[in-house]
Amino acid sequence: MGEALTVDSTLRCDVLIIGAGGAGLRAAAQISEQRPGTKIIALTKVFSPQKSHTTTAQGGMAAVDPKDPVDRSIFHMFDTWKGSDCSADQNVIKKVCEIGWEEVVWLERHGMHFSRTEEGRIAKRPFGGHMLNFGETKALRACYEADRTGKGIMDAVWAESLKYGVKFMGQCIATEILFKEGRCIGAIIFRYPEGRFLAILAKATIIATGGNTKMYLVSSNCRGNTGDGLVLALNAGLPVMDLEAVQFHPTGMVGPGILASEALRGEGAILRNKDEEPFMEHYAPTAKDLAPRDLISRAIIKEIREGRGLFHEGHDAHHVWLDLRHLPKEVHEKKIQEVCSFFKRFVGVDPERDLCPVTPTAHYQMGGIPTNEFGEVQNDTQGIVPGLFACGEVAAASLHGLNRLGTNSLLELITMGRITGERVIEYLKDATDPEEPSPDDHHMVFHQFSTYLHAQGREKYAQIRDKLRDLMMEKVGIFRTENSLLEAIEELRELKERATHIPQGTTSLRANQDLWQVWELNNLITVSMVIAQGALSRKESRGAHFREDYPERRDEFNYHTFAYMPKFGEVTLEKRPVDMSMFEAKGGHYELFDYIKREY
Amino acid sequence: MPKSYSITLDINRYDPDTRLSWIQTYQVEASGILRFVDVLRRINDEQDPTLAWSSSCEHAQCGSCGIILNGKPLLSCELLVKDAVGQFNTHRFKLRPLTIAPVLRDLVVDLEKAYDRVHKTKPYLIKPVPYQPEGDEYRISPKTLEIYSEATRCINCFCCATACISGYHHFLGPNVTLANMVRLMDPRERAKKERTDILYREDGVYRCHTSKACSFVCPKDIDVSHFLALGKEGRF
Repeated sequence: MGEALTVDSTLRCDVLIIGAGGAGLRAAAQISEQRPGTKIIALTKVFSPQKSHTTTAQGGMAAVDPKDPVDRSIFHMFDTWKGSDCSADQNVIKKVCEIGWEEVVWLERHGMHFSRTEEGRIAKRPFGGHMLNFGETKALRACYEADRTGKGIMDAVWAESLKYGVKFMGQCIATEILFKEGRCIGAIIFRYPEGRFLAILAKATIIATGGNTKMYLVSSNCRGNTGDGLVLALNAGLPVMDLEAVQFHPTGMVGPGILASEALRGEGAILRNKDEEPFMEHYAPTAKDLAPRDLISRAIIKEIREGRGLFHEGHDAHHVWLDLRHLPKEVHEKKIQEVCSFFKRFVGVDPERDLCPVTPTAHYQMGGIPTNEFGEVQNDTQGIVPGLFACGEVAAASLHGLNRLGTNSLLELITMGRITGERVIEYLKDATDPEEPSPDDHHMVFHQFSTYLHAQGREKYAQIRDKLRDLMMEKVGIFRTENSLLEAIEELRELKERATHIPQGTTSLRANQDLWQVWELNNLITVSMVIAQGALSRKESRGAHFREDYPERRDEFNYHTFAYMPKFGEVTLEKRPVDMSMFEAKGGHYELFDYIKREY
Repeated sequence: MPKSYSITLDINRYDPDTRLSWIQTYQVEASGILRFVDVLRRINDEQDPTLAWSSSCEHAQCGSCGIILNGKPLLSCELLVKDAVGQFNTHRFKLRPLTIAPVLRDLVVDLEKAYDRVHKTKPYLIKPVPYQPEGDEYRISPKTLEIYSEATRCINCFCCATACISGYHHFLGPNVTLANMVRLMDPRERAKKERTDILYREDGVYRCHTSKACSFVCPKDIDVSHFLALGKEGRF
C-alpha cells in the first residue's frame, strides 16, 4: 500500500466537537455567543452539518410556554417521567422542561421558520404521550415547522455556528480520544477524502455523534448512524448506559423503514389492521393512536403475530395500515407535505386516496454515554472525566430513561446542547492548553486500520452486515427472551471475529468507502454486544425494553445499566441510581413522581 | 411479486491514486421498487466493493446523493428503478458525478467545497429584529410565511446548480441565491442592504438567464426560478 499509518499533522483549538448535528452545534452556538473568540472545530461524517441526521426529524419539539392558558410545565415533566416507565432522571427532566420554551424562542429568534397560528404565534400540535392535567387529555405542546422540524432546527444551529466562525470539518471520523493524566485533550481524526490521520488537541471535547440503530434490518436512521461515539467511549474504558433501551418507532414506511412521523397521528391519522379495524382502541383506550411509541410498536407486532396484519410482497415484509384518507386536503398539502411525498415516491401510494403500509422501525437510542445534568461525561457512577462532555442522542443524562416521548428528542438536543455549552464555558476558565502527546504514543487505530486493510478472508462485508441486521431485528428487537439474547451474544462474538477478516477491494486510503464501512460495521457489532448484554441482565420489561419471559416492570431494576467493555465481549455491569429529586423534594404533586403505574 | 428489470449502468469511474478515469459497465437484475442507492449498494455487495458513491438519509431530506443520470441531475435515493425505466424510456443508464465540485472518487464529489458558496450568502439572520418586550417569539402571520416557506425547504443538494445553464464559474448558483431570497423575504432580517449587495453582485442573480432548469430538476419541487425572478424584480 505504500503509505505508513501515521498522524501527519496536529491542529489546536479550544473546543473540539465530534458530531455537528443539532446538539453539537447548539453547544457551539452557546459557546460562541457567550464567549466570543473561542476557537471551535466541529467535525462531521457528512459533507456539511446541514446534512446531519437531525435534519430528518419531522414532527416537532415539545415545550410549554409559561403563559399557556392550559398547559403547564409540571404536566410535561409528569408525562416524561411516566413515558420513561419511571427510569428517567428527575433532575434532568425538571431542568430540560423548564427551559424548553426559552429554547424554542431562541431558535425562532435565530431564524428558524416555525409554522404559525393565525395570530402569528408558533403553532403547536398534539403528540404521543403528551397530555394535560396528568394524563387526562391530549396537549398541544409540539412546536413544529410543517413536518420538517428537524431541518428547521438544523438549519438554525448550523447557520448560527457559521455566523460565529465555528470551523466545520466534513467527511471525517474521530477514531480515538486522547487523554493525558486522566484529562481528555482531543482526538485522532481520519479524513475520508485524503485518507489521512490528524490529531486535534483541544482544551475541551464534546462527543455529539448521534444515534446508532443501523444494526437493525428496518431502521429510520441515516447511513452513518453507527454508534461511533459510543465506541470511542467504550474503547477508552469509559462506561455507556442503558443501551438496551432502543426505541422502535411504530410507523416506518414498509421497505426502507423511512419515518412516517407521529405528527400524522397528531393530525388525526389512524392505525388499522387487515380488517381495517382501528386496533389501538384495544391497547390504549384513552390515548389510542397517540399512546407512546413502545406501546404502539408492540401492539402492531401483536396484531401481525395474531394474523391481523398484512404482507407486502415487494418488500417481503409484514405491516399494518396507517389511514390518512379522512384528513383535510389542507393538512395533506401544508402540514404533512414532506411525509406525503415520501409515501408517493418511495412506496407508490397516495395518502389522500390509499391506505399506507407501515411497520415498526428502529429509530432512537435512549441510552448513551452517561453524563451528569451538565453534560459532563462520567467515568464511573460517581466521578467525571475532566475535559470530556457529551450531549444529544449519543449521551444519556438521562431525560428519557428506557423510553422516550416523541418531540422530546429535539427538545433534549437543544436544551442539553446549550447546558453542555454553558458548562464548557465554565471549564475553559481554568483550562490550560494540552501538551503535545508524545510521538511514541501507540494509537490503537493504526493497528485497527492495518488489520482491515490487509485482511485476507473470503467473506464479504455485505454478508456480515446483513447477518447482523437480521440477527438484531429478530433476537434483540421489540420482543426479547433470555434464549434469544444468549443466542444473539454467541452469534455476535462470531460475527466480530469474522468482521476482522473482511477483504478490501483496494488498499488505498483515499476516499476508501469500503474501509470506512468496515470500520462502521465493527462499531455496530460492538454496540450490539452491549445492547444484548444489557438486555440480558435486565430481567424485566420497562419502556422500550420488553422481555417476553419477564413481561412486568420490577422494582429491583429501578436503576440505570452502566456497562463497560474495554475488550470486545467482556462486559462489566454496574448500577446508577435513578434520580428521584422531584419526588424527594415533596413539592406539589410529588406523589406522581413515585414509581407509578403506566397506563394510557 | 413486483416486476424485475435487467438494467445496464455505465458509470464514470475515477481513481484519485492513479488519476485515471474510465467508464465501467455493470449489469444488474433489480426489482422495480429498488431505489438507485439500493442498486449501487447491490453493485458493492455483489460485484465491485470499490465503486464509491455517497448518500446519507436516503429519503431526499439531506441532499448528499446527487448524481447525473442520463443527463439529468437528481437524487439517487428517490429514483425507483421502475420510474427510471418509465421516465427515461430505456433500460440503460449513464451515471456521472455532479459537476459543481471536484470528484473525490467515482460518483463522490466534494460537496464540502461546494458549500463554501452557500456560506458566502450568509444563511443566518445577519441583523435580527430586536426582541419583543414580552420576550417571546416574533409574530409572523401564516400569510407572510407562505410567501417564502417553499424556499426554506431547499436541502442544498446542488442538482439545480448542476443543471443551471449560467455555469457554475460565473454564477453563485440558484440554491445559494434562494437562501439569500429567504432572508430577504424574512421579516426578521434587518440587514436588507447587505443582502441586496450579495444578490446583485457580479456573480449574483443577474447571471441567471431564466432557463428555469433549476425548477425543472429540483428534487423538492421548489419553483426556484420563481424566487430568482422575484430577486431580479426587487420584490421581497
